[in-house]
Amino acid sequence: MSTLRQIVVVGNGIAGLTAADTLRAEGYDGELTVVGDESRPAYSRPALSKGLLREAADLTSHELPAAGHGAVELLGVGATGLDVERRLVSLDDGRQLPYDGLVIASGCRPRLLGPPNAREITLRSLDDALVLRERIASRPSVVVVGGGPLGMEIASSCLAAGCEVTLVSLGPPLLDQLGPYLSDVFVSAALARGLRILPADAPRPAADLVVTAVGDVPNVEWLGSSGLLRDGALVVDSRGRLRPEVVAAGDVAAFPSRSGPRRTPLWTSAIEQAKVAAATLLRGDEAPAYLPRPYFWTEQFGLSVKAAGELPAPGAPTVVEGDVADGAALLRWVTGGGAAVAINYRIPVPRLRRLGEAAA
Amino acid sequence: MKIVLDRPRCEGHGLCEEAAPQLMHLDDEGELVIDRDQVDDGSPDAAAASAAARVCPVAALRLE
Repeated sequence: MSTLRQIVVVGNGIAGLTAADTLRAEGYDGELTVVGDESRPAYSRPALSKGLLREAADLTSHELPAAGHGAVELLGVGATGLDVERRLVSLDDGRQLPYDGLVIASGCRPRLLGPPNAREITLRSLDDALVLRERIASRPSVVVVGGGPLGMEIASSCLAAGCEVTLVSLGPPLLDQLGPYLSDVFVSAALARGLRILPADAPRPAADLVVTAVGDVPNVEWLGSSGLLRDGALVVDSRGRLRPEVVAAGDVAAFPSRSGPRRTPLWTSAIEQAKVAAATLLRGDEAPAYLPRPYFWTEQFGLSVKAAGELPAPGAPTVVEGDVADGAALLRWVTGGGAAVAINYRIPVPRLRRLGEAAA
Repeated sequence: MKIVLDRPRCEGHGLCEEAAPQLMHLDDEGELVIDRDQVDDGSPDAAAASAAARVCPVAALRLE
């Protein structure tokens, strides 16, 4: 067992929270400090662009069970620097935190199209979601820029709220993330519900509200002089390690994948990576390595979709059960890395995973 | 401790089943069934129950 006595976790999203929980579950009983730049407890980010934007929304759908790790929580405080030789994290309130073990889980922020401070409307934080929710309540005309899963979920929520919505997308929506078949399925459902889709080079229609969802940028600036970045990326090994006493997890971290180091900004990936990273901090190579098993879900335009395996899925799938035309189906891809996708079809995730993995 | 399911919140992701298959499962209809709702504090089952509650993206599971 390790002799660490002073662990700092930078980030209080699901990765930071899971890392702190895991340290305790693994028997770590030393000092634990969690630094979070939002002044609220960790919440479920996937819920923000789904349930929370609905008019009759359950306004608690993003709330998570209270943290049980008993850490000192420094919330509303950002990390501004890291000195790995002196083992110090600098904070934006002027404090410096010494550590003998560090978890980096500082997450991402939205990529912006306009200049900083231009009050661009995006959706990443709970505050963003509450602003957007209030803005769409008066049914403005909306332009959503970005045809990824987030842009499509926002467009769907705005349509459901009664807004007239145009989605501006570089190429067919969801093509890059999900592949041609699923892109068609979602686009058909979206068009049937009244979404207007324009290519990125088309004249932008006038709208009361413009929301951008054009990807994310990892929060690594505070690591600029740490020597930990490789070409601006936080590339970790299969246990989340940067140094024996420094690990990273979640949206900020690029883990090894079949196509090289890659960030996987998904809920379940953040959780699994955080468990591995925390265990590694305490037990080194005795901790199990991270095995990427991507799981993704979305709810939009009347479709509730779960996907296990490697996306985007190339070509057309085999239909295991149901019929996409009837609105519910279970699909699998044996091409590419193998994937299984359930559309409006309830199936336990372990079964979905087995189906996807057997296909690979 | 006791595992409590807030059924209206459950969306049937089933990530909890993956974390604690010995305690819960989704039935053929995709509805979550808690097979055992009492676990001993500090036991491996309690750790699994905590992991199940934590992984749920809609916080439909609670430990009391």
